[in-house]
Amino acid sequence: MIRLESVSKVYKGDVTALRDASLNIDKGEFVFLVGASGSGKSTFIRLLNREETPTTGKIWVAGKDVGALSGSKVPFLRRNIGCVFQDFKLLPSKTVAENVAFSLEVIGRPRSVIRTQVPAILELVGLGDKAERFPNELSGGEQQRVSVARAFVNRPLILLADEPTGNLDPATSVGIMRLLERINKTGTTVVMATHDRSIVDTMRRRVIELEHGDIIRDQSRGVYN
Amino acid sequence: MAMNLDYAVRETWTNLRRNIVISIASVLCVTVSLSLVGVALMARQGVERATQRWQDGVEFIVFVAPDASSDQIDAVGSSLEANPLVERVTYFDQQQAYEEFSEMFADSPDMVETVTPDILPPSYRVVPTSTDLASVEELVQQYEVQPGVIQVARSTEAIVAIKDVSDFLTGWALGVALVLLVVAVLIILTTIQLAIFTRRREIEVMRLVGASKAFIRVPFMAEGLVQGLVGALLAIGALRIFQPVFENSLPSSDQLVLFSEFTFSGVDMLWTYLLLGGVGAGIGTAAAAIAVSWFLDA
Repeated sequence: MIRLESVSKVYKGDVTALRDASLNIDKGEFVFLVGASGSGKSTFIRLLNREETPTTGKIWVAGKDVGALSGSKVPFLRRNIGCVFQDFKLLPSKTVAENVAFSLEVIGRPRSVIRTQVPAILELVGLGDKAERFPNELSGGEQQRVSVARAFVNRPLILLADEPTGNLDPATSVGIMRLLERINKTGTTVVMATHDRSIVDTMRRRVIELEHGDIIRDQSRGVYN
Repeated sequence: MAMNLDYAVRETWTNLRRNIVISIASVLCVTVSLSLVGVALMARQGVERATQRWQDGVEFIVFVAPDASSDQIDAVGSSLEANPLVERVTYFDQQQAYEEFSEMFADSPDMVETVTPDILPPSYRVVPTSTDLASVEELVQQYEVQPGVIQVARSTEAIVAIKDVSDFLTGWALGVALVLLVVAVLIILTTIQLAIFTRRREIEVMRLVGASKAFIRVPFMAEGLVQGLVGALLAIGALRIFQPVFENSLPSSDQLVLFSEFTFSGVDMLWTYLLLGGVGAGIGTAAAAIAVSWFLDA
């Protein structure tokens, strides 16, 4: 599903965010990316959905050579990738249902699909009764559920999560992780960058640790360190 | 990919409403600049029509009686051609005179109906070698007395003056209009940048979930298009109101020479309106396209 071949990313000013990284992530895997701030986790995520292109090396995502993808094809790649962020990135002027519907609307899905998919996904994330609320009326955990619903409503092959529990208390975080686990069970590949030791240690999934842009550990059913 | 028309219309309308003040500024700037372009074009067309027969250095016209014999007509012609003071002579027969008349009075079909080719005088349009007043006057006097000639019409100073003034004014008006058009483009560009900035979070989400660039672009381009087009429509409206004033304030036919009137033909005006509409729509869309590209490709 995801394949990196000697991938390096060097930013302007000779900052190496990722150095000679090679790995495979299979369909349906759940992978934690761990490491200190600035170790290259975010760059790793941004390379996968082509917000960045690799300086050298090749990346395949969902069967496509991401680096060689022309600008006009990038949106189609991203339709296969759902993204969840620490700061939720919800639109404050839209209701919960509108926020989720928006992501289908802007990729041209027909209204009939939107009408059936949005309530179904809100039910799945446990927000069936909050569809008409606005984001600022929700708790952080609920907002993150909306964001997960938006990322997953189009049934992507891959879900990328960049510190999705970074702004949440431990109990709420557990709820989000259960949700991600459920999504993973449907066959969706999940890649999650995190600092949350207890989550990683509890879930015992594959752990890839980065340090100064190097992959220093790749362990199945691993722990935080 | 199916672009949801409903979506584009809704987003465009929201954008326009959200930035209503600066949207109005863009529209008015387009209106003022295009009105000026329109006035300049109208003035030019009007003057050209009024002075149609005095183009290309024609200094005087020898009208021959409609019932003059062909010998008399030919005699006047050959005399003109043989004259060393004459550089070029063009003969206008009755049919051509009729066509010219119809064209000049295209907006008064009643008038055209009362006229048939056989009552209009054929004429010689004369370009003399020298435009010196005295020598032209001498030629005029010489041909006024030729048999068959009913009148010799001079290009009057009024015509020369009106052409000069018109050239000067249209030149300036077009220059100022051009500057204002640039200003209009900049204002629209800023308006769209503002709209984009207001919606940057939405755009960020759109990019993340895989909306195509076209999809992101279209509402903003439509916003620019609407601003340019509304500005152009207002300008056209202003010109329509302004047109009779324009026509009445300029020299009427009797102050000029035979058959010349300061009017605008429907066809000319239609082209002017189409041009203004096209320019308005064009600059609006182009300015918006630039603004969106700056943002999306940055």
